[in-house]
Amino acid sequence: MLTLTINGQSRQVDAPADMPLLWVLRDHLNLVGTKYGCGIAQCGVCTVHVGGKPVRSCQLTVGDVGTRAVVTIEGIGTTPNGAKVQQAWMEDTVPQCGYCQAGQIMSATALLDSNPHPDDSDIDAAMAGNLCRCGTYIRIRRAIKNAAAKSA
Amino acid sequence: MKKIIGIIGAGIFVIALGFASWTLLGRDPMSFAGGSTVALEDYKGGDVTGVPTQLASADLVKRGEYLTHAADCQACHTAPGDAPYAGGFAFNMPFGTIYSTNITPDKQTGIGNYTDAQFLAAVHSGIRADGEKLYPAMPYTSYSLMTDDDALAIKAYLFTLAPIRAPAKQNQLSWPFNQRGLLAIWNVMFNPDERFRPNTGQSQQWNRGAYLAEAMGHCGECHTPRNLAFALNNHRKYSGAVTAGWRAYNITGDKDSGIGDWSDDDVYLYLSTGHANGHGGAAGPMGEAADDSLSYLLPDDVHAMVAYLRSIPAHASDLPRTVTTPAPASYKEGLVAGIDSRGEKIFAGACASCHDWTGVSPVTGYATLTGVRAVNDPSATNVAQTVINGVNRKIAEGKIFMPAFGEGYSDDDIAAVANYVTARFGAKGAHLTGNDVANLRKQATQQPKSQEPKSQEAPNG
Repeated sequence: MLTLTINGQSRQVDAPADMPLLWVLRDHLNLVGTKYGCGIAQCGVCTVHVGGKPVRSCQLTVGDVGTRAVVTIEGIGTTPNGAKVQQAWMEDTVPQCGYCQAGQIMSATALLDSNPHPDDSDIDAAMAGNLCRCGTYIRIRRAIKNAAAKSA
Repeated sequence: MKKIIGIIGAGIFVIALGFASWTLLGRDPMSFAGGSTVALEDYKGGDVTGVPTQLASADLVKRGEYLTHAADCQACHTAPGDAPYAGGFAFNMPFGTIYSTNITPDKQTGIGNYTDAQFLAAVHSGIRADGEKLYPAMPYTSYSLMTDDDALAIKAYLFTLAPIRAPAKQNQLSWPFNQRGLLAIWNVMFNPDERFRPNTGQSQQWNRGAYLAEAMGHCGECHTPRNLAFALNNHRKYSGAVTAGWRAYNITGDKDSGIGDWSDDDVYLYLSTGHANGHGGAAGPMGEAADDSLSYLLPDDVHAMVAYLRSIPAHASDLPRTVTTPAPASYKEGLVAGIDSRGEKIFAGACASCHDWTGVSPVTGYATLTGVRAVNDPSATNVAQTVINGVNRKIAEGKIFMPAFGEGYSDDDIAAVANYVTARFGAKGAHLTGNDVANLRKQATQQPKSQEPKSQEAPNG
């Protein structure tokens, strides 16, 4: 039995230590907001925060999470930056099909956590690993700046 | 005039003789230890060959299995994606390509008809059953140190495998390298064909480690540089060499270029698991050595190898000291002047999510770049190979995985990202070009497999 801290709650999970965190979130805890995409850390849709950092949950085994707190798309709206990013996402109607957007929001929030006023190149560097097949990149960039402006 | 010619001739003769004896002296992998050695049957220090005491009462096949792992027959006698021990692995050399052979007990295409004497001749002397000479890609100069009992235990194990019909692939060698007969001269010079002789001035543990490293694991075949005749130059024992497009690093005690700064525990962990925190993980051929061979060894045996490794004289090589401090958290800091921005762009999209801009992975210690030798190798050979081939290892704790980027990224892309990674996280940035990467791909390439391997990856558009 493993104990994880997910979205501020302590959760008990009966899963093998080498199971990817993504499987635990979706199949054991029914937190299905985090999506499965490529399975090899190349698309970014499975991004969650672990110890405050954006991490591809398809590659992180649950045994390696340790005591680090996990935040998923279900919990990100309760954090100050997460709330601003979600608000900006709605204002700018960022999503098209939406499949990648949980990962986009998680990466964008992590960016604002470490850099409250990112410029275009900061956004490119932080978001380059999150792919969007609908091509919402321009709206993503605008929404991140919109969210950053709300910080003031 | 005649006198002058005579003097010059004598001089050339003396130099040639000196060079020949210097070369020949370089063939004994354990001469560095000095002291005196005795024949195994005269050694009073305890068992140093065979299996560890825990397995002493096991049957011949079980013992053979352990020794087959210790000798790592599998890594070279298996083509990627094909049946273990069925051969077909390609060795790409400057003068052509050699393929490993089928050592399953198939009677037509494998070694099913080998007698004990024929098997020993192959392992110790590099002579096939039909009398032809094997190329020294088969490490018989190392295996010649192996006892008859151990070699025959390996044979007993191999003969329990399912026979697989896999005809030998045709070697592609240029003249004169395609003349196997010439190896007779090479063998006289470089294969003493003598069994392991324990060193009475060293501990039993050291001797066990020496037997495991030299007779079985044949570490020197990759880690010791070769001379002009492609024989091991033990004057610079274990100081590193490039084999099959990958760099086998300096594993002597040199503090900067070798592993002198590693703790014994680090070395132990690296050997037994293929990974030591702060030093990175094994990939490529060393990943195979860890997974197919070293991880099967019992702890006492790995400790013995560590003790032996630690006794090898330090040799400095051209590698800088590894940088052990992480890079800055922001991509904007820690920039290196003159570096192609393409490398940074690729890193941002394909690498940063696991390796982080600091180089310290938030995912797993296996993905941390800080302190890793390959990243601190200004040739970037193994960084480029790892990017091309990825990592796909199974260890006791699960899977170690990095995608293979070789199919999706161009040679120029891979050169750019390897240059960026070595500059950002290592001691000195590399200057690879697309041509260099193409060449590295060629050196490590394997022939198209008989079947397409089953992809474990999700379709990726």
